Amino acid sequence: MEVEQLTGNLLQGLVLGAVYGMATMGLSLIFGVLRIVNVGHGAFIMVGAFITLWLFNAFGINPLLAIPFAFMFGMGLGLIFYYAAIRKLRNAPELATLLVTFSFGILLEEVVKFIFGSEFRGYNWIVGKVNLGVTVLPMSKMYACFGSALVALLLYLWFNKTRAGVAMRSVVQDSEGARVCGVNVGGVYAFSFALGIGLTVVSGVMLTMFIPVGINPYMGGGYTLKAFVIAVLGGLSSPYGAFFGGLIFGLIENGSYTLFALIPGVEPFAMTRFLSFAMLLIILLIKPTGLLSTK
Amino acid sequence: MPLLKLENVTKRFGGLIAVNRVNLEIKAGQFIGIVGPNGSGKTTLFNIVNGVFFPEEGKVIFEDQNITILPPYKRAPLGIARTFQIPRPFCGATVRENIAVGAMFGTHGRYVNVDESLEIADNTIKRVGLRKHRDKPAGILTPVEKKLMEIARALAMKPKLLLMDEAMAGMHPNDIDRMVDFIKKIATEEKIAIVAMVEHIMRALLGMAEKIIVLHHGAKLVDAPTKEALEDPKVVEVYLGKNTKK
Amino acid sequence: MKKKLIKFYPLIPVFTVYILLFFIGKNVPGMWQLVAMLLFYCALGQAFNIFLGMTGYVDFGYVAFMGVGTYGMALAITRLASIEELGIGIIVAGFALALLMSTLLSLAVGAVALRLRGAYFAIATIGVNEGLRFLIEGARIWNGSEGLIFVSDINNILGRDTADALMTFWADVMVLVIAALAAVVTLYYMRSKIGYALTALREDEDAAKVMGINVTKYKIIAFITSSCFAGLIGAASWALKTPYVFPPEVFEIQYTIEAIIIVLLGGAGTLLGPVAGGLIYGISKYYLAVYVPGFQLLIFAPIIIVIITLFPEGILGMLKNRFQNTGLAHFII
Ligand SMILES: Nc1ncnc2c1ncn2[C@@H]1O[C@H](COP(=O)(O)OP(=O)(O)OP(=O)(O)O)[C@@H](O)[C@H]1O
Ligand SMILES: [Mg+2]
Repeated sequence: MEVEQLTGNLLQGLVLGAVYGMATMGLSLIFGVLRIVNVGHGAFIMVGAFITLWLFNAFGINPLLAIPFAFMFGMGLGLIFYYAAIRKLRNAPELATLLVTFSFGILLEEVVKFIFGSEFRGYNWIVGKVNLGVTVLPMSKMYACFGSALVALLLYLWFNKTRAGVAMRSVVQDSEGARVCGVNVGGVYAFSFALGIGLTVVSGVMLTMFIPVGINPYMGGGYTLKAFVIAVLGGLSSPYGAFFGGLIFGLIENGSYTLFALIPGVEPFAMTRFLSFAMLLIILLIKPTGLLSTK
Repeated sequence: MPLLKLENVTKRFGGLIAVNRVNLEIKAGQFIGIVGPNGSGKTTLFNIVNGVFFPEEGKVIFEDQNITILPPYKRAPLGIARTFQIPRPFCGATVRENIAVGAMFGTHGRYVNVDESLEIADNTIKRVGLRKHRDKPAGILTPVEKKLMEIARALAMKPKLLLMDEAMAGMHPNDIDRMVDFIKKIATEEKIAIVAMVEHIMRALLGMAEKIIVLHHGAKLVDAPTKEALEDPKVVEVYLGKNTKK
Repeated sequence: MKKKLIKFYPLIPVFTVYILLFFIGKNVPGMWQLVAMLLFYCALGQAFNIFLGMTGYVDFGYVAFMGVGTYGMALAITRLASIEELGIGIIVAGFALALLMSTLLSLAVGAVALRLRGAYFAIATIGVNEGLRFLIEGARIWNGSEGLIFVSDINNILGRDTADALMTFWADVMVLVIAALAAVVTLYYMRSKIGYALTALREDEDAAKVMGINVTKYKIIAFITSSCFAGLIGAASWALKTPYVFPPEVFEIQYTIEAIIIVLLGGAGTLLGPVAGGLIYGISKYYLAVYVPGFQLLIFAPIIIVIITLFPEGILGMLKNRFQNTGLAHFII
């Protein structure tokens, strides 16, 4: 019985993990290319959630169709923020970029609060359920999972098969070298930041497909912290590393919750969070290039 | 007793052998020119001597003490100072503070307090001719001034061995002359051993060197007194260019 | 002799601000609350500056040290409440415990996390802060998520009147003393080898090593000093002013951010900067809350973005350039 419950939970964890992974790819991409930690990451996820909510509730638009819209919106947002501030902070100390990206987050939260208010909202998209043997999942969650995997795959192909993608990778590896080889490094920075934000906003759509309730302007904070752990699992500067980091994180989160619940005298929810941050520290100290790297 | 001795030192970066089984001896007070094409391992060799990298094989011995894996901050007070190929001033600090830092932490064998090191800095600044920049942040100096400041910072440490990784390709000829003159000056005035990297454009410096070391693909190709080295066909080929008349 | 004294000139503006604040708060009716808040922000800025400003390392989990300091005071009071003879001594014990706990935590974090640089260090410290919070909640340490409430303990030991005076007045005076102490320590560091070493490693850590600087040693010195001050601020301003402690509140990342804003706004690595930053931040926060309640952050966030992008050196950086080579330069560092 308990074993069955655990496998069920693990499976759920894997499905959620794919979404988590996707929700971290933008963070890793931006760090990989620009060496900037987007501390306002979660707020961009929140924006994606509100886009989905608004399109669904106001126009009845299918959340899947919200994806391209969220992506374009995110890219635009990214470009605005890049040219408004990030570009001038290219060589600024960590401190400045951390504070500015955090302020982006606050700004978005407050604007969304101004427009939509701060109460918790949700939407109700009914597309049936699917029986996976050990557990039953709503179809919407499966869409979120496969949608995320598809985005990850597309990004992978784009990085490896297109000229622009290869140019971007060369900047990640060695920005000076890339500049010498004629890559327009400034353009790559702007585009990467925009793409990173676009992906993050899209992940907000995926996350609401998974959890269509609890949408409010301040929902992002928790995701920022999770994304840090996931990004570190995946090596911080690799978007696909982040995707697999998300899968691992989803498994650990759901698995350990089930296990901690068996221990008397502890609060399983808090212990799960504790475990994830303990993991973050251990990995940063013993293998800062991430679990998956061979280096 | 040689001041510095390298025994069979090898340093790899992944598959690349940047420094390959180098043996070397430097005596106190010697001026040595080190030459070699781009990527031949000159900077890496300096990095091994002052502890930025530890070699995979071989030993680094300074005044009979094995310092192969001594961290860099412990080597400076033994009397090893250096300048960087691309200057690395502490940009936000003033020129005076930069130089004082050298005296404060790098002085051999004795405690130097803040006031004394500022005094040393002032004296050194006069010698390198940076007096009018004394209280400016080092970050706003011109490239030559940064180089001069770095040398001053190293000299303020009163080192026994000074490693000068002075690449000047791309600099204005007047600036190069100024640097060459300055290096000549300190080589004659100071009683310290100097290992200086000498590019084509600073060839004037070679005349001063007691011996010349040629690195090629990380290995020591030539290690001979200056006169002999300049006649060695390998030096002519690697360093002076094939069509240079002897 | 004169030269010796000049070294202390920069403390004059700092202390003037603190004394003025104290007298305004004491004598203008209704002002103490604002003054207390300003003192808190100035103290926070000065304390954080010793690490953040002087080393350039971003401790994103700085609030954790305020958190354990708060717990230190709370634990001392709740555990020793039965010993009536202690009287006001219990507060001393509280500060001692706060100091001890923040020192231990900073030693542990410093020894491991300070090996990381840049963004990796910042993320690791966020991990420490959140991890600690959830460990306390999850493993039900120190009463877990229910927290510790000790108003009645303070009342019992000190008597109602003294307890009230402590919470509404003396706690803030203690914050003022801590802020002043932090200023003295900052100036001492700046004028000693420690300050030179920190400047060097902030600008270029590898070059600093080559100059003979034991960078780990100096980073740890700055980290522990800064963390201890955070612990003291937590004990005085949080535990004594509001005698309860809940994990989500004392590990709230927002305070770290506020501290960063104050330091950057005023000028990182300067003495007067964090005071100026604390005043400006505190005053704007207070009046924005009065005049545009609910919209403070909406107004504040873009301002921060603009200031950081356009004036990365902070207010002090600008003042320093302005008054360079004038007599005022001795006072402004
Ligand atoms: N930190 C490093 N990581 C990897 N490879 C390195 C590193 N430093 C140097 N190398 C490699 O080691 C080799 C020797 O480099 P080094 O900088 O010592 O040469 P150099 O003689 O100083 O050249 P230059 O005249 O251009 O300054 C080069 O192939 C270089 O790419
Ligand atoms: Mg070199």
